Amino acid sequence: MCETCGCGKPEGFTIHEPKHTHEHEHTHEDGHTHTHAHEHEHDHAHEHSHEKVINVNIDILSQNNLTAQMNRRFFEGRKVLCLNMVSSPGSGKTTILEKTISHLISSRKLYVIEGDQQTLIDSERIEKAGAPAIQINTGSGCHLDAHMIESAIKKLNIEPNSILFIENVGNLVCPAMFDLGEYKRVIVISVTEGEDKPLKYPNMFESSHLCIINKSDLLPYVDFRPEEFMKNAALINLHLEFITVSAKTGEGMSLWYDWILEQFDHSQDH
Amino acid sequence: MHEFSLAEEVLKIARQEAEKNKALAVSEITIEVGNMSGIEPDAFKSALGLLSDGSILENACINILRIKGKGICVTCGKEFEMDRRVDTCPICNSFPSEIKGGNEFRVVSLIIEEE
Repeated sequence: MCETCGCGKPEGFTIHEPKHTHEHEHTHEDGHTHTHAHEHEHDHAHEHSHEKVINVNIDILSQNNLTAQMNRRFFEGRKVLCLNMVSSPGSGKTTILEKTISHLISSRKLYVIEGDQQTLIDSERIEKAGAPAIQINTGSGCHLDAHMIESAIKKLNIEPNSILFIENVGNLVCPAMFDLGEYKRVIVISVTEGEDKPLKYPNMFESSHLCIINKSDLLPYVDFRPEEFMKNAALINLHLEFITVSAKTGEGMSLWYDWILEQFDHSQDH
Repeated sequence: MHEFSLAEEVLKIARQEAEKNKALAVSEITIEVGNMSGIEPDAFKSALGLLSDGSILENACINILRIKGKGICVTCGKEFEMDRRVDTCPICNSFPSEIKGGNEFRVVSLIIEEE
């Protein structure tokens, strides 16, 4: 879906206004060439009797949502807990996952799907921590979609009764719209970010179930007030749960591990 | 900029519908965009304009219909219109406890040219 996402790559496209705009290229006598566009009033000579209105009423995300539902059924059938981890770049998702893998790998089968625009750095870190990982490079794309996950799970050979973490592309805007088939969505924010993030990026906070507040070891050095942040987040999503951790020092991480195992049990009830 | 990949989905839908109805061309496409859908209408329209070059939508007029959201105030329980997700109740300034509508993002209709 995202191969044509043109972020930062306008080359290859020509600008087309969806109106009756015509572009002209002129070469003047002094040799310089320029292009300009202007709109015309047209008298349409053709008759409109051969026009027909088609009522479509199709949700534009329907194809993604359908594939996400198929992914979800696949996870339910195999009793796999799937968590979609979203955040801004640099919130510490990969470090959280490394620590989580070290802690849970002895008792559970774990898998990770990594989403980044470029490089294999994160999947290599995850494999080093001990879990099989698949890296999806989205190129210029800004999010993972359900089709990418569908392709990735075909390659992962996920065993039943396991846990799959999806580390989404670091971006608080675009991934919000794309259901991947996850059981729960986890948003990670770090204390070096603003307390007003939930108000600035409401869609992401609204669609998440758990919010991990990471880098709590830095709290004495920054102005971030967790209560204020949580208050803002609750304005957008009354049901959002919070866990404050420092993936670096390990503080609070046991709450996160407990939460995962609790979700694992819940997801098995289906 | 998820607008580009979404514009591509619209193009797919238009292509399918045009084929199904044996259209020669599409002269108009109408798309509903809810105010809280997470879609930036201008960016989306530009993306669709760029992608439609050389496609069935090449000469189509793109109509975007904005749909307002409706919030139910957490304090007074009254329904109020929302343009943005952070809009509050005009009477008591509270956030909504529930939001109805405003998340629409769909292709409503096409006007096609037939033989």
